[in-house]
Amino acid sequence: MRRRTVRPSPLGGSVTAEEVIDGSAVFPDPARGRPRGEARRRVPRHVACVMDGNGRWAARRSLPRTSGHRAAETTVIDVIEAARTAGVEWLSLYAFSTENWQRPGSEVDFLMRLVRRVVRKHAPVLHLRGIRCRFLGVTDPRIPPALARDFADLMTLTGENRGMTLTVAFDHGGRGDIVAAARSLIRSGVPAEAVDERSFAAHLPFPDTPDVDLVIRTSGEQRISNFMLWQVAYAEWIFPPVLWPDFRAAHFLECLDTYRQRDRRFGGVTPNANGERRP
Amino acid sequence: MTDTGSDGPAGTGADHSDRRPGQPAHDEAPLFGPDSRFHAFFHDPRWALSIVRATVLEAAHPQVGAALTDNSTFVAHPWRRLRNTVVSLQRMFGADDEVRRREAARLNRLHARLKGADAHDRPYDAMDPAVRGWVVATLFESSVTMCRLSGQPLERGDMDRLYAEFRAYLAALEGDAGHLPPTVQEFWPYYDRVVEEELENTEAMRVILYRLFDHLPAPPLLHGLPAMWAAGRAVAGPLIGVITVASLPEPFRRRAGLPEMPGAQTLMQGAYLAAGLARFLPDGWIQPEGIAKLLALDPGGDDPRARSIGALTDRMKRAGALVRLLAPLPPEPDPAGGTDVRREAEAFFTAVLDQTGDGYLDWPDLAAMAREVAGRLDLDEPDETRLYDAFAGWWRELQAALDTDGDGRVSVREYAEAVPSLAGPALIRVAEVLFDVTDTDGDRRVDADEYRALFRRGFRRDMAGADGTYSRAAFVRDFLSFMAGRERSTAYDPLFSDA
Repeated sequence: MRRRTVRPSPLGGSVTAEEVIDGSAVFPDPARGRPRGEARRRVPRHVACVMDGNGRWAARRSLPRTSGHRAAETTVIDVIEAARTAGVEWLSLYAFSTENWQRPGSEVDFLMRLVRRVVRKHAPVLHLRGIRCRFLGVTDPRIPPALARDFADLMTLTGENRGMTLTVAFDHGGRGDIVAAARSLIRSGVPAEAVDERSFAAHLPFPDTPDVDLVIRTSGEQRISNFMLWQVAYAEWIFPPVLWPDFRAAHFLECLDTYRQRDRRFGGVTPNANGERRP
Repeated sequence: MTDTGSDGPAGTGADHSDRRPGQPAHDEAPLFGPDSRFHAFFHDPRWALSIVRATVLEAAHPQVGAALTDNSTFVAHPWRRLRNTVVSLQRMFGADDEVRRREAARLNRLHARLKGADAHDRPYDAMDPAVRGWVVATLFESSVTMCRLSGQPLERGDMDRLYAEFRAYLAALEGDAGHLPPTVQEFWPYYDRVVEEELENTEAMRVILYRLFDHLPAPPLLHGLPAMWAAGRAVAGPLIGVITVASLPEPFRRRAGLPEMPGAQTLMQGAYLAAGLARFLPDGWIQPEGIAKLLALDPGGDDPRARSIGALTDRMKRAGALVRLLAPLPPEPDPAGGTDVRREAEAFFTAVLDQTGDGYLDWPDLAAMAREVAGRLDLDEPDETRLYDAFAGWWRELQAALDTDGDGRVSVREYAEAVPSLAGPALIRVAEVLFDVTDTDGDRRVDADEYRALFRRGFRRDMAGADGTYSRAAFVRDFLSFMAGRERSTAYDPLFSDA
């Protein structure tokens, strides 16, 4: 009786019996006991998470969907900390898609308030940890001005940080980004022959973002859902069955380990087609 | 005693000391240059207060007041105006006679363009020698009063010398100083007579006293910190008004009906005393030209000082962001209404087109733009006239296209409704003339130095052509797209919109 949610989400679909909370082993720090260079090489540079399963998590407990979103906060903080400790340089979280506006108004309102509260609550810690925060999307006029202000403030506050870059996709759609890049390209008057992948990517929002190496989509759903379409071209995908509110650092590290086992060939294409390594 | 009346505009400083070998010691130094009394005051922090006071007395003269109301950009762009004034005074009081002659010629051309009639149809003319005499008189009197109010009245000899310097200034400008009495003794009856008989409670004076400092926009350098600026201004604005009113001559206060505030006299004298104490600071700590230039710096520019201030501003911004993020959640505000295009048009109108800040677009607004460009490029004739003519042509085009109610000027509403049709041939002509006068070596490219002269900043990396120059076509295109309000944040933005 799994519901097919068409969209990724901060709030997932319905309950399923087979969802497991504890089916994964805890892995030690990947860098421990290995030669430094090797460990560094094998940690994915850019990890993205599609935070799926909040709604199902709540429904399984006979709680309102909103409590699933509330429970997701802990996971978000846990994953950020785990990624930073593991040496991930770029972490992207899919918080709200351009299609999520179709959700019931009350749920959207709740989410906006929740996100605002979470951003404000964790801003100082994120800053102290040296994390640079960015918000990808955030163009819809329905976003409350106060929330947009907080996003801008957090970006300003952490803009000079040189630790991990945390990109929160909020009101994001991968196709929308590509269309925006095409528009910007046409406006700049580049002749058609001069457009290649690299120059096109330079018109995407946050063009310094490198390609995604690993996407983790929780709750077992296996879809892309319009997430950073350009950047995930050669990403490895992992679909742990755990619902997002139950996802913890241990699961995250397990995913990194699975990634290490994968044989990435890029179809003969070099990775990181856009984005240079930051100093 | 020092009659400079017979001197031509070019023969000032050096001539004086040559011609009067027998004068007392304090008169032997040249009237202009670094040893003058004026220069000592110029670096005195009390001068800030006394300049405000002098400007109020100036504006209270009906002719000056009318000219200011019609033409001055000091309400909308006070910092740019301050910088220009400081640079001009420096040139006029500097040691170099050639620089002084050119600056006087420039001021004269500028003033010759300021003519008209006030609200009661009384004519005004910025070239009227009596009026110019009064302007210099207010500067002198305010300097003297500044010393008196802060408890260090000028010695007789110093006062004579300062008066001679101001008369020489007027002579450099006018050709003779005949409209200022020859000696200080004769000056005071003249001053008292003008105060009692000619000064009025003009609109320009009220604007300076009660509006300018309450609405003073942040200087360009501090644009990033609007909240801090507004907080400081809310305290300082009314104080400056009260202090200035209290320092004005009593007969004028009575006649103009200016309010007497309890304690204002004490406050005013305290302010002058406190500012006077700053003279004990080490030499070189207070440099008005440095401060005025610093405040007018564009934080995005490539001046090293702008960069360090830019870094500071970034820190303040981050601190502000943190404070806002940490502050308890206020109640959710309502989403703002209004259409974007219209709002943008209105913002552009206020920031760029309405240079005099009176809410209307009129010839003085465009003349102020021409004046700013001419000042930056240090234009001589006939380039200056070409530039003014181009702007005048644009004004006629704008008036024909936008002044739908036929009152001779363009309101925000008229502008916002007709915004798309703004780039006509006359505007293109302005762009072309602007390019020609900027391109001083006439090679039909604007190179890095020419660019810096106009915009006070270097090329942005992405804007210059491959050879580090700016082509005519690109220059004209960018100007049109800026002036049509289509594109902000170009180099033109700080040129015309900086406060």
